[in-house]
Amino acid sequence: MDQIITGYTTREKLQILADAAKYDVACTSSGSDRRGKKGFLGNAEACGICHSFASDGRCISLLKILMTNHCVYDCKYCVNRVSNDVPRATFTPEEICELTVNFYKRNYIEGLFLSSGVLKNPTYTMEKMCETLSLLRNKYRFNGYIHVKTIPGAADELLATAGYLADRISVNLELPTAESLTKLAPNKTFQTILDPMGKVSDTIAANRISRGKLPQMERSRSNQYLGSSIFSSQNRVEKQRGYGGTLSTVGDRMLLPAEVQSENRSFAPAGQSTQMIIGATQESDYTLLKTTQKLYQDYDLKRVFYSAYIPLNEDALLPRLDTAPPLLREHRLYQADWLLRFYGFHAEELLTEARPNFNEQLDPKCDWALRHLGEFPLDVQTASYDQLLRIPGVGPKSAGRIMKARRYGRLDFDSLKKMGVVLKRAHYFITCNGHRLYNTPIEEAFITRQLIGTNQRENWQVANQNRQYQQMSLFDYGIEMGGAV
Amino acid sequence: MRVFTCKDQFEDSMTCIYDAWSWALKNGHENLRLEREPIFQPTLFDEYTHIDADMEKVTKVVRSIQNKISMEAYIDIFYATLSIEPDALDTIYGFLRLGFRVGARVCSMYTDPHVMRILELRRRVGNEAHYFREFARFSAMGDTAYICHLEPKNNVILLVGEHFADRMPSEHWMIIDDNRRQAVVHVKNQENYLRYLSEEEWLRLSRSELYEDSYTDMWRTFFHAIGIRQRENRECQRNLFPIWMRKHAVEFRESKKNN
Repeated sequence: MDQIITGYTTREKLQILADAAKYDVACTSSGSDRRGKKGFLGNAEACGICHSFASDGRCISLLKILMTNHCVYDCKYCVNRVSNDVPRATFTPEEICELTVNFYKRNYIEGLFLSSGVLKNPTYTMEKMCETLSLLRNKYRFNGYIHVKTIPGAADELLATAGYLADRISVNLELPTAESLTKLAPNKTFQTILDPMGKVSDTIAANRISRGKLPQMERSRSNQYLGSSIFSSQNRVEKQRGYGGTLSTVGDRMLLPAEVQSENRSFAPAGQSTQMIIGATQESDYTLLKTTQKLYQDYDLKRVFYSAYIPLNEDALLPRLDTAPPLLREHRLYQADWLLRFYGFHAEELLTEARPNFNEQLDPKCDWALRHLGEFPLDVQTASYDQLLRIPGVGPKSAGRIMKARRYGRLDFDSLKKMGVVLKRAHYFITCNGHRLYNTPIEEAFITRQLIGTNQRENWQVANQNRQYQQMSLFDYGIEMGGAV
Repeated sequence: MRVFTCKDQFEDSMTCIYDAWSWALKNGHENLRLEREPIFQPTLFDEYTHIDADMEKVTKVVRSIQNKISMEAYIDIFYATLSIEPDALDTIYGFLRLGFRVGARVCSMYTDPHVMRILELRRRVGNEAHYFREFARFSAMGDTAYICHLEPKNNVILLVGEHFADRMPSEHWMIIDDNRRQAVVHVKNQENYLRYLSEEEWLRLSRSELYEDSYTDMWRTFFHAIGIRQRENRECQRNLFPIWMRKHAVEFRESKKNN
């Protein structure tokens, strides 16, 4: 192995490999609930725990590192592509374990996020990653959260092993259409990504059934009161994906390490996730959101992440190097993603073929409400739960509180505010015991103007988040105390 | 008006509620107020009565809350006693007056100001406990023990300690509340206990934060490497990790070795 440079210290390797891993979005530690055990280190909380927040405001929950940033692939958008001249390093399995365990004991992190560049070939890389995870779980007796990225094209047996050792397993879709993927990632195909995703999804379902659970992943509780959310049963039936076969039938259980079986672990209890780059290619928000919805329905993914494209490489096929990352667009997509998972919306309701992009000035829910003014105003005292959830400014928490509170007393605008309803958005759309808060007309143009005015500051902050500014002070201009008269 | 006062402990609070209640049966609930010590500015015309903890009364109060209202209400009240807000005890009293009248459904009566306030207190205490589950940092004393310093506003170290008892059952560790000079101590494979620190113990333990090792350095390296320059957003970072909570977080402290 002439390409592994051993001259770096662990700290230098950490610098290189954390720096290379930072563009991966997923840093969630949620979805897995596991009690601690005597003699072991760690547990997992269902809500997930962030341990710090980096200078870009993103949470640091997991020790997010690459095993190596050597890579034989040449994906155009990636900083670690083979044609880039960057310092390269590789962690040994022991180094990763020591770092994870010692950071964990000091409460710096919630677990490990292990991804990797492709060293030699996908199967070799995945084997190394599994070796690391196995060491961490069995020798270091680590019981905390592990998120592992699978390498597209690795053998099924290794995928199965990784799934039994980790809490969440994920494979990056990177781009929402096959054409974009062939254009920007010549070594990957859609099939090599969707194939393992389907197998993992079926294995999770099979494993859940064998443990006496429903085959589908748990979803936010609000969904069980919603008749027609994307997760409800009538929407699930039309699964368009063929049956991929579970991993344990393809890779026989005999192939798993003995320790994995004896622990009786469940297969990827926190499910799988994926991420897509936005802004590197010309896809519309509609395509992205449709793909997201399909992934939730057909592959039962727990999360789909979006990453605003940050220009790192110069290439004729990519946006120019001075393009600003589309942060506000990313923000709108995440808002829409939440509407799908918590509010019972469908992608087709939010966007259409004719109107394929979000209005950047307004959040998707306000935008939807403005196009459906006929359904408003709703009276909070009598509206049903799914109607309440569609009012801008009302979320699952406040909707739940309204449902509870109105059983025992009459609501008024004051108590609505205390329950967490955002009245500055909601008051255009609701009445409370037949009254409105102010006498505002229910007119699309008027409410649009008002809401854009209300949102202006937030929108500016998201779009210009890295602009540095501070309060001006006379002392900046060299005027001394008492000196100026 | 009669003002019942007690120390800032769960047992004292419960006894205070018991005594105030029995006084109110003769003189009316409207004519009393409950406050926690220390009282910096007594009023001129009110009469102050100090109440000391009495375990028998505590058991009675706890039992009635659990049986006549609900377990959920009891948990709300327990969280409220940990709160630093000056009106916490009086709010609990108001909540109980309503609770004993209507029973378990009191927890859903969000339109009542006392209920709203007690849920607010519970939320604040719960949120702060969660913040310190996230932001507590242990320093390693060699390989033997881990010590963590916190300065929470509400009295949350018990709740934080519970979390770590499940997480690191087979390590020796200690979480110290620097303001209240209390510590949650966990001995390997045993239950947590709370200890009020003496002056000498406190002086000795307060030095523990200066311990740093190679992992502290590597954590700083990681922390700085993981931020994306093109997305820098200090305001978002401040919103999510307020500056007053950073006091004991090592990643925001300069390395000792450079000085």
